Amino acid sequence: MIRKYLGLYAAFFRASLIADLEYRVNFITRIVTDIFWYVAQIVTFEVLYRHTDVIGHWTLPQTRVFLGILFVIDAIYMVLFHDNLERFSDRVRKGELDLLLAKPVNSQFMVSLQRASTAILGNFALGLGWLIFSLSRLPDFSWERLLWLLILIPCGVTILYCCRFFFTSVAVIFTRAENLQFLWYQLYKFGMRPDSIYAPWLKFFLLTMLPVAMIASVPARALLDPPEPWLFLWAAVLAVFLLWVSHRFWNWCLKQYSSASS
Amino acid sequence: MAISANVEYRLNYVIDAVVQPSMTAVIELLLWLALFQGAAGGTIGGFTLPYYLSYALWGAFFARIASSWMYEFRMIEEIESGSVNGLLVRPFSFYEYYFSQLMGYKFITTFVSFLIPLGATLLLDWPAQMDRLPLATLLVFYYLILVHSISFLVSCCAFFWNRIHSFTVAKNLAFWILTGELVPLDLMPEPYRGWVINLPFASGVYVPVAYLTGRAEVSMVWNGFLSVTVGLIAVNAAGALLWKKGLRSYVGTGA
Repeated sequence: MIRKYLGLYAAFFRASLIADLEYRVNFITRIVTDIFWYVAQIVTFEVLYRHTDVIGHWTLPQTRVFLGILFVIDAIYMVLFHDNLERFSDRVRKGELDLLLAKPVNSQFMVSLQRASTAILGNFALGLGWLIFSLSRLPDFSWERLLWLLILIPCGVTILYCCRFFFTSVAVIFTRAENLQFLWYQLYKFGMRPDSIYAPWLKFFLLTMLPVAMIASVPARALLDPPEPWLFLWAAVLAVFLLWVSHRFWNWCLKQYSSASS
Repeated sequence: MAISANVEYRLNYVIDAVVQPSMTAVIELLLWLALFQGAAGGTIGGFTLPYYLSYALWGAFFARIASSWMYEFRMIEEIESGSVNGLLVRPFSFYEYYFSQLMGYKFITTFVSFLIPLGATLLLDWPAQMDRLPLATLLVFYYLILVHSISFLVSCCAFFWNRIHSFTVAKNLAFWILTGELVPLDLMPEPYRGWVINLPFASGVYVPVAYLTGRAEVSMVWNGFLSVTVGLIAVNAAGALLWKKGLRSYVGTGA
């Protein structure tokens, strides 16, 4: 079963790469576009730290590491899921969802992974470069701590995917829900800032109910703060739980679906 | 027509006009609160916390007005798909049609969404001089003409290249920094500070909000009008040229 899906994904990836290389200017502009996003995040904190030594309880070198983690996780998510979830609302409206549902594979898999954004691999390399640069600027950093990322980055990507997928799935019920999708980006902004800046009650909320703080803040904490094994265990449990809930939610949404095609 | 078309989908409208800028404002307010906990002396760049809270609140709402995503995407789509043909035969221009749509939409959005920062400012007594609001709003709407002209310029590129949506995203992300939505531009180090404040993009967020919250005086607003005017002349000249060139090379593919 797993081999079947891996083979299928490899075929999707190849097809996406060929399609992306067809429009070369677009390939490059997609990388450049994300560089603007990286620059915006970096400039914000670089400017703010000119006027203060700590934000939350992190210094500038530590916040740079946080940004590096955010860039890496966001890039992985973008490569794997972004294009699929972004155009999902349109596909429902045009009746293309019916075609996906008729295929003999898991529909959530098809909806989420059919198209890979291969251009973003360039951004992944840039994000990784920034992370390595920022880690090298940390005094006394013990590099074996990076092993935590083997668990926490996949958890962060999974949590990000599941949260986004909940918003995407709603398009099956409300056909015109573009602004609900934009709402997701506003909520995601909470995860783009270190969770240490939030009040304890809000931090708790962002680590449990709306777990966007689990995406980058928790992996960054694994590198920067004393290890918190319970929190890391929670990240793993939450990732698995959200994946299960997202699947249940998807099936529930499909039960409400009335075909849009003729 | 633009107003009624947007109010038709009420949930979408409320999210766009109220929920999105409110959430952005909340996130920015939290950031500034955290920032001031670590700041020595109780001031940053010569201003106290309430000034920054007021800036973050108004900045989020001004930024929402001063940006154009949806209409620019539609303009690009019209040219890419060939449905621009339907507009070419009508007795008004492509530029004018979308300009009226954008302005109608922004007008109704502003009217509703400004109630939130207005109420919050009065309730929390944050620094904002309400008598300055009309001039600040006027500058943003003047800046919107420039925003639309840039959208027109970007959409004209669709005559020559396919899939140029990334241009819109890249451009709007650059404006994110240049307008002062992320941080007040006066916090930037020199010489960047002087450059970005004098660019027309500062008139989208920084200049009107700085004027409204008492960080800047009226001379900066007049300077903003001037720089937007210069921007308008340059962008519209380039846009007109590209439109003419584009139409010459355009082969209608749509309905």
